[in-house]
Amino acid sequence: MKERLRNIRNRHHWWPLVLLGAGWFCVPLFANSYWTDVANFFGIYMLLGLSLNIIVGYAGMFNLGHAAFYAVGAYTTAIINTRFGIPLLVLMPIAALTAAGFAALITRPVLHLRGDYLCIVTIGFGEIVRIALINNPFGLTGGPNGVLGIDRPALFGFTFYQPGHFFYLIWVIVILVMFGMRRLENSRLGRAWNYVREDELAAEAMGIDATNMKLLAFILGAGLAGIAGTLYAGKMTVIAPESFGFWESVVMFAIVVLGGPGSIPGVVVGTFGMFVLPEIFRGFSSARMLVFGAAMMLMMIFRPQGLWPSQRVLRVRQAEGLESQGSAAGRPA
Amino acid sequence: MQEFLQQLVNGLTMGSVYALVALGYTMVYGILKLINFAHGELFMLGGFFGLTWLTASAFSGLLKSPLLGLLVLFLLVMAMVAVIGVLLDRVAYKPLRRSPRLTAVVSALGASIFLQNAVMLVFGSGYLVFPDVARDIYWMVGGVKITLMRVIIFLVAVCFMVGLYLLVQKTQLGAAMRAASLDHDTSRLMGIDVDKIIMLVFVIGPALGAAAGLMVGLYYRQINFAMGWTYGIRAFTAAIMGGIGNIPGAMIGGLLLGIIETLGAGYISATWKDAISFAILIFILIWRPTGLLGERVADKV
Amino acid sequence: MAVILLALMVAAVGCGGGDQQVAEDAIKIGIQGPMSGPMALEGQGFLKAAQLLADQINEQGGLLGREIVIVPGDDKSDPKESALVAQKMISSNVVAVIGSYSSTATEPAANIYHEAGILHITPSSTATPLSEKGFERFFRTCFLDDRQGLFAAQFAVDTLGLSKVALIHDNTTYAKGLADWTRIYLEENGATVVYYDAITPGEKDFSPVLTNVKGVAPELIYFTGYFSDGGLLVRQARELGIECLIMGGNAMNNSDLVKNAGLQYAQGVLVTTEPVPTDLPYAEAQQFIADFEAAYGTPPQSIWTLSGADALRVVVEAIAQTGSDDPAVLAEYLHNEMGDFPGITGPITFDEKGDRLGTIHKAYEVDAEGNFVPYEG
Repeated sequence: MKERLRNIRNRHHWWPLVLLGAGWFCVPLFANSYWTDVANFFGIYMLLGLSLNIIVGYAGMFNLGHAAFYAVGAYTTAIINTRFGIPLLVLMPIAALTAAGFAALITRPVLHLRGDYLCIVTIGFGEIVRIALINNPFGLTGGPNGVLGIDRPALFGFTFYQPGHFFYLIWVIVILVMFGMRRLENSRLGRAWNYVREDELAAEAMGIDATNMKLLAFILGAGLAGIAGTLYAGKMTVIAPESFGFWESVVMFAIVVLGGPGSIPGVVVGTFGMFVLPEIFRGFSSARMLVFGAAMMLMMIFRPQGLWPSQRVLRVRQAEGLESQGSAAGRPA
Repeated sequence: MQEFLQQLVNGLTMGSVYALVALGYTMVYGILKLINFAHGELFMLGGFFGLTWLTASAFSGLLKSPLLGLLVLFLLVMAMVAVIGVLLDRVAYKPLRRSPRLTAVVSALGASIFLQNAVMLVFGSGYLVFPDVARDIYWMVGGVKITLMRVIIFLVAVCFMVGLYLLVQKTQLGAAMRAASLDHDTSRLMGIDVDKIIMLVFVIGPALGAAAGLMVGLYYRQINFAMGWTYGIRAFTAAIMGGIGNIPGAMIGGLLLGIIETLGAGYISATWKDAISFAILIFILIWRPTGLLGERVADKV
Repeated sequence: MAVILLALMVAAVGCGGGDQQVAEDAIKIGIQGPMSGPMALEGQGFLKAAQLLADQINEQGGLLGREIVIVPGDDKSDPKESALVAQKMISSNVVAVIGSYSSTATEPAANIYHEAGILHITPSSTATPLSEKGFERFFRTCFLDDRQGLFAAQFAVDTLGLSKVALIHDNTTYAKGLADWTRIYLEENGATVVYYDAITPGEKDFSPVLTNVKGVAPELIYFTGYFSDGGLLVRQARELGIECLIMGGNAMNNSDLVKNAGLQYAQGVLVTTEPVPTDLPYAEAQQFIADFEAAYGTPPQSIWTLSGADALRVVVEAIAQTGSDDPAVLAEYLHNEMGDFPGITGPITFDEKGDRLGTIHKAYEVDAEGNFVPYEG
């Protein structure tokens, strides 16, 4: 399988991907509105997963508060749109910049923290943002009611309002971001993150500014989460604090780890596992979350490297003989 | 001033509970470098098991002598939750000892979701009410009202913490635990049964958490399946605040967090309470990156 | 890679068709609400109430000779999940949907049900803006926040003759709405709000807030949140030595309040609420409570469970009276023809916006036996 994958890449066998994409884009033609909407949220969670993947997967930092950046994007969009009527697609870059700026501001002082300390700090940021939204600072966020009456996104006079419309808007963006990520992985920046993740001190010795690299990961990840926030606000037309709670951060985190940190196809299967599968089992109302929790444990036990691990990460680890030991629990960090 | 002292008393009660739960986080972290996100659920189970025993008819005879009854109740509940703690380790964490750290975090989150929903399915989603065991005995000290239960919670917590501290610092077993927390492989070479130490940690931590859950049930008289999460995340905050992996740190962190919360709620705003706690935690970490009592660990070179 | 992904997609889409087998002419009614998560009690309350009533009707030969099938949908009280549940309800061809619980979850679902033309009744979303959008098939069996707030304010000022009030809510849409409206009407009536803050629901220790309340010495504490928190709040207030009157909103109207607070503390606590079921002249109300307890072992734990039962009874009534399952016909009936339907929570009449008419709020007091009795001064 691994061999074949490499062959595909080497011989530029791109057609299965194109076929796959074309097939996927036909989904709204034969799926009902419910499943089309499931596909829409699949897309939004993929964006969130890809954005968190920059922070957790590429740069190797704990982040259990990613919903904060998602919330900043969504609320920026919602507040400016409902107050000044600026169209949503114009607000998308503004939401991304606001979320990125917010990330730069709050994470800069805590980047030096070691893994688990960073984990609780990000949980803290997530909770602070959620509590702030509930408390309606300066009358901006609407408190527990949230912001109602957000416009639908529109492009050249066409308004996206049906699940099928959103499908194309969301998935075009998802595909673009996936291409971007692929480029990013192979860029100077991507390689620098690899160094920082595997050995921060060695990376510093090679002349990489580790702190700046980490900051950049947070900025890019948060910006992308901000874009997902705009899409979410436009899709729902109402946003409320409970959509940005700790649970959302857990889902995003699990998407990345379940799929395999640092792996783009991993985010696809991770999102499928964390969002689409529970949706399929919606029928089992009360026991659904029980099974969900058990599945999270089992997945990790039987597939600790993730469902579709990044070949790059595996190669690096193998080369250093680290795959099974390096960052293992039970050894001092 | 009277109000301030009353708030301190309030804060010490909550703080004692946080400290007991925080010990569970910190001990597991100390040995395994693992954040046991399911620990809050073990705390919650302490409350539920306690209520089950209290309302069981077989138990009513024992309650005629409250002191003996409560002692037996605590031991029973702590033992039951300790068994679940060990099972949790066997199922969710042991297979992942050599896996990347991220993996164990997700497994822990999964275990937490599982336990919470299991309790919901068994006991229902509503609030359950404890029978009135603690009667209203209180003292007024300079206008500050101090109830017997608050004193008991504080004293029980302090006794457990001092006991644990002595165990870890003064006994041979404690020395083995400290060694294991430094380096598993070297400890093994020294003849320490690391697996046994890990099991012991998953006995003591959950047992202390269960005691805290039971005390919350007895004092506040009301439990539900979702309470483990709220207390868990705060106790984890307390553990980090004091320096995770450090036992006195968890105690100080717990009491400090309890006081910060009550003063924050009392003097700034109750709705911003948790945000205030987290903000103070973040400032502490900026100032001291490994918590108040956390050891300064040099990066590997 | 492509093969696996395609397989995943096919699996995802393919599962859409697999609904459970039911009689073809069954009347499907959706129940949407939080069935898991912290608010699970409320959604499961809706579901239990609806299932109980549906079972009773089915045992007696069904509605118009057809079986009633309840379709549950768990939205965790989250707007995103709510939108998905709404889409799912539509694809299961329900006639009407009852839900959701919180106003924020009801809002996105209301848009989707409106577009699909389905009858939509919320038993508990009291936020005023919901009915301002002109959706013709949107109804609620609850009263809006402002009416109870007005009643509470007038009761405090005119009947009790008090002027210093502490307001405590729990930062949920409902409780904060009620607290805000009460504050407005209190100030209009010349009273002062000496304390206004929120507790965190599910918290166990409210003494930090109460210690502050004690400091401002109010004549009345009005708590707009739930009985589960309210019971603790009452107990802890008394333990701290706060002697003033304590009053709660209709979410405090629950027999468990007395259990949570302890009888000696709960005695004398007031609640503003729709008349309690045992006081209603309707046999249906007492019958429902008794049946509920017989079926599930506990009486309904929340006022919204009763409201949910009313929502189902209203739908059933409309179908029975019109002999139709066309949402347009049903909505027309509910708007114009149904008057003073004997609901569990009082007579039900809808106005042109689908809001419930009238105010039937009353004040109740907990007596020495722990029962809620009408307040008589």
